Amino acid sequence: MTSDSPTRNKVTITFDDKTPRWFMIASIGWGVVAMLVGVLIAFQLNFWQVNGKIFEYLTFGWFRSEGIEFLTFGRLRPLHTNAAIFAFVGNMMFAGVYYSTQRLCNTRTFSDLLSKIHFWGWQLIIVFAAVSLPAGLTRGKEYAELIWPINLMVVVIWVVFALNFFLTLKIRRERSLYVALWFYIATIITVAMLYIVNHLQIPSSLVHSYPVFGGVQDALVQWWYGHNAVAFFLTTPILGIMYYFMPKAANRPVYSYRLSIVHFWSLVFIYIWAGPHHLLNTALPQWLQILGMFFSLMLWAPSWGGMINGLLTLRGAWDKLRTDPVIKFFVVAVTFYGMSTFEGPLLSIRSVSALAHYTDWIVGHVHSGTLGWNGFMAAGMFYWLAPRFWRTKLWSVNLANFHFWIGTIGILLYVASLWFAGIIQGLMLNETDPTGTRLVNEFVQTVDKIQLLMLTRAIGGTLYLVGFVLLVINIWKTAKSGKAVDETREVFEDPAVAKDRMAWGAVFRNDPIALTFWGLFFGILWFFLPPGASHMALLVTLGFAAYATYRFKKDTATWAKWYDDISENYLPFTVLVVIAVVIGGAVQIIPVVTVNRAMNVEDRLQKVYTPLELAGRDVYISEGCYNCHSQMIRTLVPDVLRYGDYSRLGESIYDHPFQWGSKRTGPDLAREGGVRSDSWHYLHLLNPRDLNPQSRMPNYPWLAQRKTDFGALPGKIAVQQRLGVPFPIMTPEEIEQHARQQAQEIAGRLVAEKVKIPVKKGDKEPTNEVEARDYLAGTKIVAVIAYLQKLGAFDVVAPPENPEPTKPRTIMPGIPDKLRPAPKAEPVKPADPAPTVTTAQN
Amino acid sequence: MSQKNKTDNEVTIREHVFDGIQEYDQKLPNWWLFTLYITMVWFVIAWFIYYQTTLPTLTDHERIDANIAVIEEKKKAELETMLASLSNESLKEMSTDATHTGAGKAIFETKCAACHGLDLSAKLGGIQLPGLPLNDTEWKYGGKPLEIMNIVTNGSPDITKGMIAWKTQLSPSEIAQVVSYILSKQPQT
Repeated sequence: MTSDSPTRNKVTITFDDKTPRWFMIASIGWGVVAMLVGVLIAFQLNFWQVNGKIFEYLTFGWFRSEGIEFLTFGRLRPLHTNAAIFAFVGNMMFAGVYYSTQRLCNTRTFSDLLSKIHFWGWQLIIVFAAVSLPAGLTRGKEYAELIWPINLMVVVIWVVFALNFFLTLKIRRERSLYVALWFYIATIITVAMLYIVNHLQIPSSLVHSYPVFGGVQDALVQWWYGHNAVAFFLTTPILGIMYYFMPKAANRPVYSYRLSIVHFWSLVFIYIWAGPHHLLNTALPQWLQILGMFFSLMLWAPSWGGMINGLLTLRGAWDKLRTDPVIKFFVVAVTFYGMSTFEGPLLSIRSVSALAHYTDWIVGHVHSGTLGWNGFMAAGMFYWLAPRFWRTKLWSVNLANFHFWIGTIGILLYVASLWFAGIIQGLMLNETDPTGTRLVNEFVQTVDKIQLLMLTRAIGGTLYLVGFVLLVINIWKTAKSGKAVDETREVFEDPAVAKDRMAWGAVFRNDPIALTFWGLFFGILWFFLPPGASHMALLVTLGFAAYATYRFKKDTATWAKWYDDISENYLPFTVLVVIAVVIGGAVQIIPVVTVNRAMNVEDRLQKVYTPLELAGRDVYISEGCYNCHSQMIRTLVPDVLRYGDYSRLGESIYDHPFQWGSKRTGPDLAREGGVRSDSWHYLHLLNPRDLNPQSRMPNYPWLAQRKTDFGALPGKIAVQQRLGVPFPIMTPEEIEQHARQQAQEIAGRLVAEKVKIPVKKGDKEPTNEVEARDYLAGTKIVAVIAYLQKLGAFDVVAPPENPEPTKPRTIMPGIPDKLRPAPKAEPVKPADPAPTVTTAQN
Repeated sequence: MSQKNKTDNEVTIREHVFDGIQEYDQKLPNWWLFTLYITMVWFVIAWFIYYQTTLPTLTDHERIDANIAVIEEKKKAELETMLASLSNESLKEMSTDATHTGAGKAIFETKCAACHGLDLSAKLGGIQLPGLPLNDTEWKYGGKPLEIMNIVTNGSPDITKGMIAWKTQLSPSEIAQVVSYILSKQPQT
């Protein structure tokens, strides 16, 4: 509001700075927790004893433990990721959004009550997460581990946040929306969409559920969500924060408004398509892999648009880089953003992914984003906000500078050591003997080789944590030296301000929208139409692109005017964002989830689990085994040589949730079943080092002490049946009897091999073989062994008739069932090995 | 554009100010635009080549199947050559040759000792390991050198209570060396 007009009234507003202040404090508190857990589990990768056995050494043997289940890597890693993303960055994002939105809208937040509910609701969710994850209550999907009652809370609180935000936009005193607000809008809309779709599930109890998607469908939905959690939870809101706080701190105008427009829209549109790059060379249909890879490459420039706009805003203010810690943090944060958004497209190339995927390179890549970009943006913002929140000076600029340096060194150590670790391990895993027929290195040898690098990484993380603790001290002292105040400001209210007046017709009926719509429409047809028609669609798309360029050159002023109008109307703007973010997911997911599962099996169909195996699978998920073990043999020679024939789609088609994994800290388990003896697994779970002295896997003694929950099985199987898994029809009694019988068989084999039973202190030792068998049959370890021995079991089915023998054929996008020729025959029903079970037709 | 004012050096700054924040309206950097366009053009060309031409001759599955078939062929030939040159007597002879038993010992200690024990007793400090003892005269699947060779190569007939097949990890000559080492440790009768 630059020009004064006599018709406007002066009003005094007080911003609600309490909400962002509290969010900032929460972010700092949870940040310490998240990083502490991160450091702990980083050391566990070197020294498995950090899972609790370490107390034995620390107390000189007074405290006896082979490991505490709540402290194992598999349970704490989800806690670390969830805390870092949703507690640390989440609260930081809310602080930035609440602070800047009020000022960019020149109004107090719409409702203090909603702000309060949002704040306390979010903290309550985090507390529940911090309790449930170590307790082993998990959905088994990365960054989506929280159990379904907590999911519902998240949805409610997110809606509260959205209401509060959009109603604040509605009552704004500014005519148009600043670019930061565009990014906030995109965040709120997209996170809601991603979260809801990826959390569709059917509960089997108050704390357990199965996701509605299985196998490849679940994989695709999960990484559409997982990738865009990075995009729309860790990137877009932080870009919005950058667009507000960077020019504020530097006191310089933003570099380029039109760059803001182009990079915002290209970013939100393209990001959504890139999810499949997490599944390269897997069983995911090839067309999706290629699509994910190419869109990731196209994402490079839009991401760098944000970096350019951030860094070049500092032109004329570079001298502040020497004196102002806030600017230092921002500059390094944006630089790391640029680095990791270059690394991302690079890693999305299928041949690069072949080496890097499942190794620590990916972990390093993620952390250059979270520690560098998110963590340093947070630090810069906190150092800028604290003196304003408490109307005082920052307690110590020197300490903040020290935080900056120790943090930077920490990140560099962390990222560099994981580059080396990832590449070294990747190369070692692929190394063959001169004949090219056999691999040279055992898996554990490759883990052993990178130990020093893993230790360096843990030390780098520790340094980063130390720096963050300095921030805690600095902010605390700053707060102590001042007094919490809410900023008051005199603004002019113009009742005639021309905002939110655009007619919907004007929003959609214009050249930019029409040309974009038809261009995209034919572009998508180009993916799906049969040869011939698709060529035409491509030509039409290119025609529209050329025509749009011509119209834009001719009518630049009209197009610019239209965009200015849109950014003065928050609802039309929001609707356009919704459309932009829906398209990518729709094109990738709808074909895959509407294709009948029978058409998705390729030549193999997974054998359905027995009740005991299902119970074992739930233990496997609950212990977080998927955090270190994948179940996906890629279509790569070294993978096949090491783990066996490559995984087919059909081999995980009944897996709710899928367990393809994203990191191999241990070897792949897709074909583990039937390779080793039951007693090998038994001894290995109790103490991996008995069989593999170099192993870093923790001991799982409690698996031989905790009881399998046979009573829950009928409910779980009922849910699986509803999801379309062809479990045979059994009464609850039959289910339990069948599970117990299979458990007795396995326990019998173990007892015959005279295994030792680590009975819990106070429990009765079994005195004879029958008692030992009965005891073991009831424990979780037997259920897990049953599950492990089933991995990789399949029935061969006839491959579906190929209607189009000319190339390209099998790599074409999936076509919905209705449009397909009917399959020749239903796939063979999986036969059940157990005698007491009758097999039913699905 | 409607909202612009020209400044001296041709760079425009937009009229609207948000909470003190102003915006320039710089032209997009050419190298950045070029990057954006080249990736988009690349997408159109590459997708066209992938799906509308006959240039990509193999799918992922066909490629990996072909590669693995070549490897399997090689391995089979290797095994056949090796077996043709081996007999119970030649393996026995190898077991007296320190170069073979030495190599076999090294392999045994990395791959086999976990289950059969370093001293072949299948015991570790009194605890029973999953493997069978190899230092006694009892052979569950036959004690002739070629029978031992076979069990190491192909694994136990019933895998749920026996050894894995080592042919994926060890070459036939390495297996022969391990067998020669085991034979060298047999109690002489």
